[in-house]
Amino acid sequence: MQNSSFGQARIGRRSLLASAAVIPLAGTLASCAGSGAGNTTSTSGSSATSAVSTSPDNPFGVAKGSSVDAVIFNGGYGVDYAQYAAKLMGQQPYAANCTVTPTTTIATTLQPRFNAGNPPDVIDDSGANLIGIQTILSEIEDLTDVFAANNLEGTPIKDTLYGGVTAPGTYNGKFAVINYVMTVYALWYSQSMFDANGWKPPTTWDEAYALGQEAKAKNKYLFLWGKEAATYYQTTAIGSAIKEGGNDVRLALENLKPKCWSLDPIQQVFTAMKKIIDAGMVKPGGSGTQFTQAQAQWSSQEQALLYPSGSWIENEMKSQTKAGFKMTGTPELTVTKNSQMPATALHATAGEGYIVPTQAKNVAGGKEFMRVMLSKDAATNFAKTKLAPTIVKGTVPADGFGSTALVSQIKMLDNAATDVFSWQFVDYYGMNADQLVLWNTFLGGGSSVKQLTAGLQQITDKIANDPTIKKITVS
Amino acid sequence: MTAQGFTHRRTPGLARTATPGRRRRRRNWSVDRVTFFLAFLGLPLSVYLIFVVSPFIQAFYYSLTDWTGFNPQMDYVGLSNYTRAFTDNIFLKSIRNSVELAIVVPFVTIALALTLATLITVGGSSHGQIRGLSAAGFYRVISFFPYTIPAIIIGIMWSQVFDPSNGLVNGILTAVGFKQFDSFPWLGNIDTAMPVSMFVIIWGLVGFYMVLFIAAIKGIPSEIYESARIDGAGRFRTALTITLPLIRENVQTAYIYLGIAALDAFVYMQALNSNGGPNNSTLVMSQYLYRTAFTKGQWGLACAMGVVLAAVTMSFAGLVFLVNRLTGGKDSVTLA
Repeated sequence: MQNSSFGQARIGRRSLLASAAVIPLAGTLASCAGSGAGNTTSTSGSSATSAVSTSPDNPFGVAKGSSVDAVIFNGGYGVDYAQYAAKLMGQQPYAANCTVTPTTTIATTLQPRFNAGNPPDVIDDSGANLIGIQTILSEIEDLTDVFAANNLEGTPIKDTLYGGVTAPGTYNGKFAVINYVMTVYALWYSQSMFDANGWKPPTTWDEAYALGQEAKAKNKYLFLWGKEAATYYQTTAIGSAIKEGGNDVRLALENLKPKCWSLDPIQQVFTAMKKIIDAGMVKPGGSGTQFTQAQAQWSSQEQALLYPSGSWIENEMKSQTKAGFKMTGTPELTVTKNSQMPATALHATAGEGYIVPTQAKNVAGGKEFMRVMLSKDAATNFAKTKLAPTIVKGTVPADGFGSTALVSQIKMLDNAATDVFSWQFVDYYGMNADQLVLWNTFLGGGSSVKQLTAGLQQITDKIANDPTIKKITVS
Repeated sequence: MTAQGFTHRRTPGLARTATPGRRRRRRNWSVDRVTFFLAFLGLPLSVYLIFVVSPFIQAFYYSLTDWTGFNPQMDYVGLSNYTRAFTDNIFLKSIRNSVELAIVVPFVTIALALTLATLITVGGSSHGQIRGLSAAGFYRVISFFPYTIPAIIIGIMWSQVFDPSNGLVNGILTAVGFKQFDSFPWLGNIDTAMPVSMFVIIWGLVGFYMVLFIAAIKGIPSEIYESARIDGAGRFRTALTITLPLIRENVQTAYIYLGIAALDAFVYMQALNSNGGPNNSTLVMSQYLYRTAFTKGQWGLACAMGVVLAAVTMSFAGLVFLVNRLTGGKDSVTLA
């Protein structure tokens, strides 16, 4: 659901079934068929709508009564929030008729439509089956004008947002993706369990190791993992290494530098993790456990203390969390106390990427959909029903609608102030699937730090040395 | 499907064309005749051309381009997709895994199916009429049952059975004292993931092939078995020297079907280990193809992989025919 490596792993039984439904396509050569017809482009659609005069109420000139085709990823956040925005669109002066189509498999569902030159007007390009932005960057709109427009309440949208939210959607200078949901990456734990045992959340890997020994005394593990989500540990390791070594680490990884995985801070983090794994503090068997089942072993059975994840975890495990669990987050760990970034530095980014295809019939309608989504009304509705903040500020009250996780997210964001960072290379180049394999082996104690490093470097080098893959430069 | 079937079907056609005198007459292209040809030859042929042959050709063409799949533009890049596929160590690994499946799955499935079919049809009491075990009907239903469950359900079910913490297998093993299987990841361990996946596939398929062989064995006159028994042949000997040669054609067909199913194996593998298993030990070609197309947006490369998969499948079928022929299949006994 997020536009992130965490997100890549968010495949449940539903998407499994959906991917199985594609077998006749994937298994045979026929899958490649059926493109030839798609050489005509329907740019006429957008020029027709541009004839409609624009106004502050209708900055993109949506034709009166026109229909808007929105395809929304049906993941942990569902689609009802998008249907709420669709309803709002119907109430505007132009009274657009917006249909929301839910799907769990964005790329599989939309590939034929893109190829035929008939994509939807707006897409929530998220989930395990998202379309890599690298693939379609030249075929989607620059969305700078959406942020420049006023929201439904009359304030310019760019003044209502958290800082740094354009960065994760900007590719080689083009603002192509509006990432709608603010996602905080953290180590999550049960406040009530920690209070009962007098534990404090760790800030360094050494403290985590010490905590792991106390956990052992209580017959609990420090960490656990599920097979589709093994790279959650890569995400926390990278976050940790960036906090320890500063921006140089991030840039080396982002720009696919040779030997980037051998940088000191990364090696220190891997070594610290290996020590924890070798000490038996990670629940064995994760490489054979479906990831939501593994997560339930943490949130419901309390077999482990900490779980690294994005902030969607609360919503995802809602029905499988022990009563009185009080899920709370703490920022990713550092190696030493005098790290380059402070302990409060936070790995956070906007996720749930929305795009508007250039060839859509109603480009104006697609952009208008985003303008409505970014209204205070729609954003507050999202925060309230999903217990997660959108990129729109000030939609969460002090009690976090009764959610400890939401309160801790806002607190972490406030504490971090400007020390907020993130990265894109894993998702941009689609590395997650290959990296998963290495992490499942490493977490199960089946490989050394050296083998893990070599494997990750090989994946990075393969992309760096492939001239057919378009690279992005990050600075 | 059997040799008898072919002979029967062929006879009437031969009789008609062989009628003397007719051959000389000019063909009478009446409306009836033309519409007949159009309806019964033209239509199926064009369906075949449009939906089978042309996708094959298209896929081959796309495999020579850098098509991303998400727009209609593509540039001709020659054979570079094939070079990339064959220098990609993960793709090579997936070929190895697929070939491994194609070797083990058909062999074990057929051996098992044959054994079961023999027991149910001719393996019963050695007195009186040739018959199967008592309660043969019951066993037949039991063994056929898995085949009626969709593959995806089989995959999901077994992945739960093999779950390290809550699965049935580890539950039973630890309960009877094998403590080392506490939280053992059957599908997450590099040594067990592939064998376990194979087991699940075989479990799902064996029933159908058993029923296929039962039908074939029922076509063999029981006098042959009776005379073999009178000559003193035991059950094992009878199965090997009577049953197997007589249903050879069926075994060959089953071998090819199973091989194709094993070379695909997409559903099972996606359900058991959607990410390719530990160290890619259960990643099969169709899964990697799917990943290349949909998550990496490299349809040209994915098409090249599809062409390779087709080539491997066809050479497998060819190989089975060849082996059958070399081992004396062409002068096999038929009862027709």
